Amino acid sequence: MDFSVINDNIEFLMLGLMRSFQLAIFTIVLSLTIACFIAIGRVSSKRSIRYPSAIFVNLLRSNPLILIVFWFFFLVPLITGKTLPEFHTVLIAFVVFFAAYFAEIVRSGIQSVGSSQVKAALSTGLTYSQSMRLIVLPQALRNMLPALVTECVIVFQGTTIAYVIGMREFLHSTSLVAERTVRPVELYLFAALVYLVICFTGTRLALFLEKNKELAR
Amino acid sequence: MTLPLVQINNLSLRYGNFVALDDISIDFMPGTCVVICGPSGSGKSSLLRCVNRLEDFGTGDVIFDGQSLKSAHNISKIRSNIGMVFQHFELYPHLSVMNNITLAPRYVNGINRDEAEAKAHKLLERVGILDQANKYPDELSGGQQQRAAIARALALEPKLMLFDEPTSALDPEMISEVLQVMRDLARNGMTMLVVTHEMGFARDVADEVVFMDKGKVIERNASGKFFDNPQSDRAKEFIDRVLQKI
Repeated sequence: MDFSVINDNIEFLMLGLMRSFQLAIFTIVLSLTIACFIAIGRVSSKRSIRYPSAIFVNLLRSNPLILIVFWFFFLVPLITGKTLPEFHTVLIAFVVFFAAYFAEIVRSGIQSVGSSQVKAALSTGLTYSQSMRLIVLPQALRNMLPALVTECVIVFQGTTIAYVIGMREFLHSTSLVAERTVRPVELYLFAALVYLVICFTGTRLALFLEKNKELAR
Repeated sequence: MTLPLVQINNLSLRYGNFVALDDISIDFMPGTCVVICGPSGSGKSSLLRCVNRLEDFGTGDVIFDGQSLKSAHNISKIRSNIGMVFQHFELYPHLSVMNNITLAPRYVNGINRDEAEAKAHKLLERVGILDQANKYPDELSGGQQQRAAIARALALEPKLMLFDEPTSALDPEMISEVLQVMRDLARNGMTMLVVTHEMGFARDVADEVVFMDKGKVIERNASGKFFDNPQSDRAKEFIDRVLQKI
């Protein structure tokens, strides 16, 4: 085995890794923001808000990520007549898909706080949205932090799906170098090691947060 | 003529088929301390939660300080004039005692942090836990948590204080410290509605006692009269049973 092939192509590989990180980070920030609104909708007492939120979550969670990516890649341009760059297409698909998963985590976090905290907040004259923002969500976030970190790891692993529509993320970059240099074993071993380090660190962080919830105060 | 601070008119509340409150009409004058007692499930806590519309009542209305709660569009503003203390304290666990107290004055009344903290200092001194200001609720004893909760409720200078079984979740030795704070409040003329099983407090501090059963007000009397000479059989039975426990 000749691992110098990795060193020779490190810049190209790191560019792919940065692209994967970029996709993961944008996905996490945007989908988590949307997820907060959907989760609040999921626990709303108004059916007109609760039902659409539930439909969104269940529809997205019942489909594989790759299908959602295909949807945005093939069907949206057909309907709108416009094609978007690969990164944008994948990002939109990822944000929509992971918003549904994050929404369920946030919902369970909100429900773990309990309605009596909302009642206490309302009784002091805070509005419902202030109670949510200042009292419920900070506590919910603390309770759901381990699950959130685990989901972030899944998002990062999920970035490999972008390969199928030709986006040059880390796995795609690795595979391009492997084909060009005919050194698949070294390169895929390297890719596995990189994913292992990143995902293992994330999983350990989730475990640590699980055990030390009070640190998140 | 002094007008009632709280006027409850034909109030009914249902949870499914269960009637929690059944056509209640009663009023409370400013500056009085009224204890509401009765067996479990009699509707005492539900009645209290209707007074600041934490419970959406079905029929009837509550008039607080001349404003109908049913048709109120500014319910948050009205609630800021009604302090509430809960059985399980309900302090915000992610905030320090100081922030628990200053949150509503800052966000509801819009006063700045320094002013809110200066006021909170005075309140914490009043309830005797100034030294706990920077601690988190889970670092306090039950009695201290409840006193912090009282300080939080007082922070907006409410016209009315609601106490929903404030000592029920406390160890016996911590009950007296909370009751002492409530006693002081009553002595200073705060209008108070107190749901409690503390009959000693009801007899010594309350001006009046309201006895409820099955969602109805069965009896209302001056506290001395209520204990010495209850009018209804149901109240007599209740007092006997509660006093036996003591």
